[in-house]
Amino acid sequence: MKMGIPIADAKLGMWLFLGTEIMFFTAFIGTYIVVRISGGAGWPGPHDTHIDVFWGGLNTFVLIVSSFFVVLAHAAMGDKRYADARKWLGLTMLLAVLFLCIKGIEYRGKFAHDILPGHIPETPAQAIAKVDRELEAVIREDLAYYTYYELVSVDQPNDLATLVPQIQAFAQSGKADAGDVAKAGDSIELYKKWQNLHQHKVANVSLTAVPSAEVSAYREARNALNEGEKLPELTLGEVTTYLNDMKADQSYGAAVTAGVFDPHPVLYGNLFASCYFLMTGFHAIHVLVGMILFGMALYAGANLNENWLNWVENSGLYWHFVDLVWIFLFPLLYIAS
Amino acid sequence: MSDDDHGSHHVNYLAVFFALCGFTALSVVFDVMSFENHAITIVLVMAVAVAKALCVMMFFMHLKFEGNWKFILLAPTTILAIGLPLALMPDVGVAYYTPTAPQKGEWGTEMAEYRAAHAHEDGHGAGYDADSDHAAEEGAHDEHAGDDQSSEGHDDAAH
Repeated sequence: MKMGIPIADAKLGMWLFLGTEIMFFTAFIGTYIVVRISGGAGWPGPHDTHIDVFWGGLNTFVLIVSSFFVVLAHAAMGDKRYADARKWLGLTMLLAVLFLCIKGIEYRGKFAHDILPGHIPETPAQAIAKVDRELEAVIREDLAYYTYYELVSVDQPNDLATLVPQIQAFAQSGKADAGDVAKAGDSIELYKKWQNLHQHKVANVSLTAVPSAEVSAYREARNALNEGEKLPELTLGEVTTYLNDMKADQSYGAAVTAGVFDPHPVLYGNLFASCYFLMTGFHAIHVLVGMILFGMALYAGANLNENWLNWVENSGLYWHFVDLVWIFLFPLLYIAS
Repeated sequence: MSDDDHGSHHVNYLAVFFALCGFTALSVVFDVMSFENHAITIVLVMAVAVAKALCVMMFFMHLKFEGNWKFILLAPTTILAIGLPLALMPDVGVAYYTPTAPQKGEWGTEMAEYRAAHAHEDGHGAGYDADSDHAAEEGAHDEHAGDDQSSEGHDDAAH
């Protein structure tokens, strides 16, 4: 009585594993589909998400070619042409590395624009708050110079309100050298610019309508109002202009440019980034695992013989699955956005 | 033990490879064509993706020549793959009620004005200035207060 399925145990095992992998990726891809449909017209386009069809298409092509090479490797193993098999496996490895490199280029572009889950402002108000936060971080790092080198001493170095006058006193004290005096001047100017923005943001008052953070300026603007009017609110455009001016400054512009991203609110941006990194990240991990499988076959070197036939076939099946996942990821992430 | 000999089924792998390349180019073409209804693009591109998947599965993975066990394996996963999104669609996907996400509530007005002004002029900063309990020295997180910070509150601050 014939029992079982007429294929090798390892092959059946790999297929069962691939069945679970299908379910694994279906969870993420299915969720992305559902979430994308719910976003509807509000879903960010490729300009907001910095998705480029070119790189995605190139990666698709790379994986398809690698799938083809894997199939040739398996055919070579079946025909006992082991040198050919090594060649095709080696080329597949190279293409896998190329895939990860292209992925790395894409990820770097995302990091450069702070397109990360939880980092993306979704409304202009959130974008203003983010600029405020990042600028504060730049200032704190700038002012840490004075406490780190113990040029000033305060009980609470985190309390900027007491720290800044101390720095001013230090600069005027005569104990500071010329470099430190100039640096202190820049630091205080930077701090004041941030304080101005921060006060306007907390009060939600326009930077142009109330030109400074002094109470007198605020009262003057309020007194100029007619009955029933309100002061105009802070807008993202004003903040962007203000920030660009700061970035253009000779002395502290570089620090501000390095520490503060250009404000760019993207509705559903965080949801997108979450889905994107989850799907492509897990896919990249699977590519790495595939590289390990091929690597072990290549490591056998001249010992690659008929004993490795099943290994190569199963690695090939796994690699084709990785290609399949990308075949679905590419249109969903790059074209359907 | 070596598996079944598939030598009798000669597959022209190169032809399958060219077919895959052609399908990929086709999906990029559909994207570039940009139909007025984006749903058409998505349907066409997903159809191409399914065709590519079948090429890889049937020929590269040799499923065309395997036995009926392939259905036992793939049927449950396919059912789940289709069933999961369908199950979530009414609650998460098709928003036939107004969602209460704060950013979406204000999104219409804010973003419309923001986009109209080409992102560098108007755009209101209204609504979710949520640092009312801000402690500057700690660098607080931006949380959704959900309340409108009205200008009336400024009068109290100034006195």
